[in-house]
Amino acid sequence: MRLSEGQLRTVLAWLVMVLLVVPVGGALWLGVAHGESPCILCWAQRASMVLMALVALLVVRYGPRPRYLGMLLLLVGWGMFMALRHSGLHLARDVGQGFAGTILGAHTYVWAWVIHWAVLLVAGVLLLLVRGPLAASASLEPGRAGRVAMGLLVVMAGANAAQAFASTGPPPFIGQSDPVRLSLDPRHWVWSMDAWRGPVSWRGSWAIPAPDPAAADPDPAHGPLVALPTLDVLRWEEVTASLDGRLTGLAMHHTAAADGEAFGGADRVLAVTDRRGIQVLDGAMARVLHRVVPDRGYSIDLSPLAGATFVGGDTMAVLATNKSYILLRPDLGADAAREWRHFRETDGTMAEVRRGRFATVRARQMYALALAYDPAGDELITVSVPSPRHRRLVVSRFDRGDLTLASEFLPRLGPGLERRDAERGLGDYLVTGADVADGHLYAISAAYSTILVVDLASRTLTAAYAVPGLSDPVGLAVRGQELLVAQGDGRIAVLPRPTRAAPGDTRPVAD
Amino acid sequence: MELLNFLIMLWAGWLVWRRPEREHLAFALVVASFVLMALLFLVGTRGSLVPGVNL
Repeated sequence: MRLSEGQLRTVLAWLVMVLLVVPVGGALWLGVAHGESPCILCWAQRASMVLMALVALLVVRYGPRPRYLGMLLLLVGWGMFMALRHSGLHLARDVGQGFAGTILGAHTYVWAWVIHWAVLLVAGVLLLLVRGPLAASASLEPGRAGRVAMGLLVVMAGANAAQAFASTGPPPFIGQSDPVRLSLDPRHWVWSMDAWRGPVSWRGSWAIPAPDPAAADPDPAHGPLVALPTLDVLRWEEVTASLDGRLTGLAMHHTAAADGEAFGGADRVLAVTDRRGIQVLDGAMARVLHRVVPDRGYSIDLSPLAGATFVGGDTMAVLATNKSYILLRPDLGADAAREWRHFRETDGTMAEVRRGRFATVRARQMYALALAYDPAGDELITVSVPSPRHRRLVVSRFDRGDLTLASEFLPRLGPGLERRDAERGLGDYLVTGADVADGHLYAISAAYSTILVVDLASRTLTAAYAVPGLSDPVGLAVRGQELLVAQGDGRIAVLPRPTRAAPGDTRPVAD
Repeated sequence: MELLNFLIMLWAGWLVWRRPEREHLAFALVVASFVLMALLFLVGTRGSLVPGVNL
């Protein structure tokens, strides 16, 4: 089958009528009959459909000039982008959720995608069927179908203008993100300028800068909580083993712990570095017993490593700042061929058990630099760091069995703790290390050099302590009645573990 | 602003239908309407080319 230019114009005229009646007219009908008003993004997609019809009418009237075809390509391309961009806001929501109503089970913004695709496909087919070269021809009479289509376009553009007047108002008022239903009663009209306001970013709300603990203010006197007691450093220890980079996280397996028989009943220290080194040290932190450098590009992307913990038995977990994790285990008989895919470097004595991502709810769009393990609940725990979008401290707990979110909370302030003013809060802290003991989460904040003590049962910050003299704290571990705060330079501040985790009470646990 | 855009389209459609000798003006109005439509969409997304996703 071949089309002459005259036939092409007639077919186009009918297609324009279909485009104007079905999607554009259908959208108008939704407004008039059901009160459903388009949002600002829907308006643009509807305008794109009318413009595609208008370009087709230019072809009907003046012939298939290249600039018309170019305009159609721009419209289809931009229209598909708009529909995908708009749908992207909602496609990944939970089952059945979306924005406004549906047509045949799909929301209107999804149909915009289908319509632009259909226009592209139809245009391609028509061009394939055209007989002879496309040539700019003198203006021809459009025929009856063409005239009807042109009249229909004027009517549709006018009807949309009327709806736009009621729904969005005259310029400079502009469409809204959450438009109210269409009404002919002016008292119900909402004319808004909100869309003109707000931060502009091509990357949008996902532009979250990586955390930088080194830039945090270490002075406890500037923290969000006032009149905090001080925990004095009892002594300093040091990682004397040769690490492959600057320390970014540290955990300790202590023989006094519930599963103290792991690792042959010996103390072990897990250290991670800024060169993605994962090293298991002896209890004296003098020797490297196992070492690997995971391949960050294999499968799940690992951002810089920042947290570490022992998770029972001889299994260890390492956290990347983007909340991806690796589970590892010492394995003297590790299969070198199998582990090659996991590790860039290895001493051959470690095996990767699992690699995954922690999915949070309240801590989305926030990085995490601290990982802990609660043996009582058999849960892994992350603590978020504030981001420009969300300034809050979120404790997220993941079931050890399926490593899926079990619960989340923002700690409440316990009695005796006071904020400096209403603008300050726990979101000002930047937690870089954490550990769990006796039902309490102990965390160190690089901002304001503060130890935070959270009762996991009551989800309450029961105590906080200023620790003067710290520099770049990156990890925290509980060792019996002591807290070890690791710094990036490998020095370890040894602090007394507060007794009852109450303000002002700094007696060691053993007292 | 959406009202303005549909009025531009109404004008262009009228020219194509009733004043075919004004082809250049009609096409210029289509281009102007396209640019306005694209700008309004970007205003609606605050300039963000992608929704809340990782790149």
